[in-house]
Amino acid sequence: MRNPASRAAVAIALTGWLSAATLSAHHSFGVAFDATKTVMLTGVITKIAWTNPHTHVWVDVKDANGHVVNWTLEGYPPNVLERTGWKKDVTIKVGDTLTFFGWLARDGSPFAHLREATLADGKKLFFGPPAGTGEGPATVR
Amino acid sequence: MMRITCFMMSCVLAASLAFAQTSTIQPAPKTADGKPDLTGVYQASPRRGGWDAEAPGDEPGVAAPRSAANINTTASDPIPFTSEARALAQDILNRRSIDDPTTRCIFAASPRITGVGLFPVQFVQTPTQVIILYEYMWTHRVIPIATKHPEDISPSFMGDAVGHWEGNTFVADVVGFKPGGWLTGGLVTSDALHLTERYTRVDRDQLNYEVTIEDPKMLTKPFTQRTTLMLREGARLREYSCAENNMDPSVYEKMLKDPTSSQSFIRGK
Repeated sequence: MRNPASRAAVAIALTGWLSAATLSAHHSFGVAFDATKTVMLTGVITKIAWTNPHTHVWVDVKDANGHVVNWTLEGYPPNVLERTGWKKDVTIKVGDTLTFFGWLARDGSPFAHLREATLADGKKLFFGPPAGTGEGPATVR
Repeated sequence: MMRITCFMMSCVLAASLAFAQTSTIQPAPKTADGKPDLTGVYQASPRRGGWDAEAPGDEPGVAAPRSAANINTTASDPIPFTSEARALAQDILNRRSIDDPTTRCIFAASPRITGVGLFPVQFVQTPTQVIILYEYMWTHRVIPIATKHPEDISPSFMGDAVGHWEGNTFVADVVGFKPGGWLTGGLVTSDALHLTERYTRVDRDQLNYEVTIEDPKMLTKPFTQRTTLMLREGARLREYSCAENNMDPSVYEKMLKDPTSSQSFIRGK
């Protein structure tokens, strides 16, 4: 049984800021997302934006009371997705069921960094990078 | 029985040959004038072969060290910050890199742009120029060979580069930086920044990158970083139009000041 939250914390601690800041592409992870708050939910895709610098997917998720919340999920740009096995309008489509694992936005809104997508057929694909950039605060080495 | 044995032997032979072909390190190609030919599409990665999509040992649902996925920088020395530059780096850290110019789609200088392993880099070499095309930020550098820096350099985010050959190594001398770019590990560029980049195609698959970073305004002494670029046959550069759907950086500022103040962060509605 893996524990994504604790494993993430360990990875971040090992990575350190010095190298992580070197690596940030476009914007840091920590600028918008909280690596200590993971989320894993299942819903139905309502919209897909296959765009740079980030692809976004919107998913309707029904809670225990039957309320539907529309989540916004952020991931890699299309070029990265296409090199890692995704195909626009084929791999995921509006109306498909999607299970997503990722990290929550710092503002508490239904917005998340999508790391791993589980498709309707059970196939798992990465949709975004791991956590670990711009986590702060820490001390410059 | 003999036919089966022969069939099995041929399979073993074929498998051996296939292994030999994939495991053989081939020499770096040369141009007509005898220089190493840097031409090709590469990825910052330690692994040979096909596209390196994820960090070694990474698995779904687990955060891997981003360093392994995105760069192969092996610099072990701490950045020799001046006290002022260190304070600036600490401020960057405290603000979760919120002010990163790339968040506003501004180009990042090398070594940063070279080492973002998510995106390929393409080298095009002629006898008089080395042209480097970067998928990340969809930008490029044209590096003339055996010339001097122009006298009318306007400061720029990626600097002005001129190249020359030292044996089998292509060396680029880079100056003329605009202050305020983010280079590496919290080091911010000044107008005194000077890079000496060394590109060495040590074999067909591997292009070594080494950069010595000097900046008397930000550093107490020069330091060097190294990255390995691996040939990625079949990979091609794809458009990266950063401004297409870019987030307004002001939302990050709101999150920094009050993490609960920015419910409007939900996009696309």
